[in-house]
Amino acid sequence: MSRFAGDMPNPDSTVVGQNAEAPDLLEEEQLRANVYALLSALLISPPDETLLAVVKGLEGDDSDFGMALGGLALQANELGAEEIVDEFTRLFYGHGAGGELHPYASFYLTGFIYGKPLADLRQDMGVLGRARTDVTSEPEDHIAILLNAVHDLITGTQGDPLDLDGQKDFFDKHVAPWAGKFFEDLENAENAGFYRPVGTIGRLLMEIEGRAFTIAA
Amino acid sequence: MTEETKKQNTRSRRAFLKGAGIAGVAGVAAAASLVVTTEVEATEMSTEKAAGYSETDTVRTYYEAARF
Repeated sequence: MSRFAGDMPNPDSTVVGQNAEAPDLLEEEQLRANVYALLSALLISPPDETLLAVVKGLEGDDSDFGMALGGLALQANELGAEEIVDEFTRLFYGHGAGGELHPYASFYLTGFIYGKPLADLRQDMGVLGRARTDVTSEPEDHIAILLNAVHDLITGTQGDPLDLDGQKDFFDKHVAPWAGKFFEDLENAENAGFYRPVGTIGRLLMEIEGRAFTIAA
Repeated sequence: MTEETKKQNTRSRRAFLKGAGIAGVAGVAAAASLVVTTEVEATEMSTEKAAGYSETDTVRTYYEAARF
């Protein structure tokens, strides 16, 4: 069984057509997978220097999505690393410990953490041949772990990739019911500065994905 | 679904994703492998970073507020 929440993916897997374990993805599919990976990295912990350097260099086009990425780069260039760590803490520091947001599917869908949505997700990931690792203590329905799982299901970095129909089913069941609302809450969070455009990017990605899946269906 | 319909849907999907800006973000594309590598490093560092949070004023405030 492959792991989906912490094993080292092959960096080459992000290069279109160069990973023997992954299918030759169309460029657009690889790029959307990259956005999932970027959001996952930003939401699992405060960005380290390497990730911050990447974010500072982001450039978007004149679409809403592109402008949101440009806004994130601007924030990264204006804020210090310690400010971002403090912001992350104020936003996400644990259920019951005062964090403004609780980035878990179970919380958004039931009002409690470790609920049925998590059990359903674990069951489906098991069917897909993925199991969590103990690298992070966060449950699988944490937004960052879930986005990382979607990245994996697109690229096949941790197991067999899903075709678009399979990705749509997973998205409709485990992501769409709550992730857009979470990102909207992140955009509007009182403590959000650096993470406000992260929320915008996530909300727009959810909208784009929902629409794109209907085109493919 | 016919093969031609599938091809048309693929073309439509690609055009939509391009128009939505997904394909117009040079930074994400250029930094793709770095982002994924960093993602894992960030995950692996999460426990260590969590310990670091307790040293910030913000976290101390939260601990104080959460104390019974």
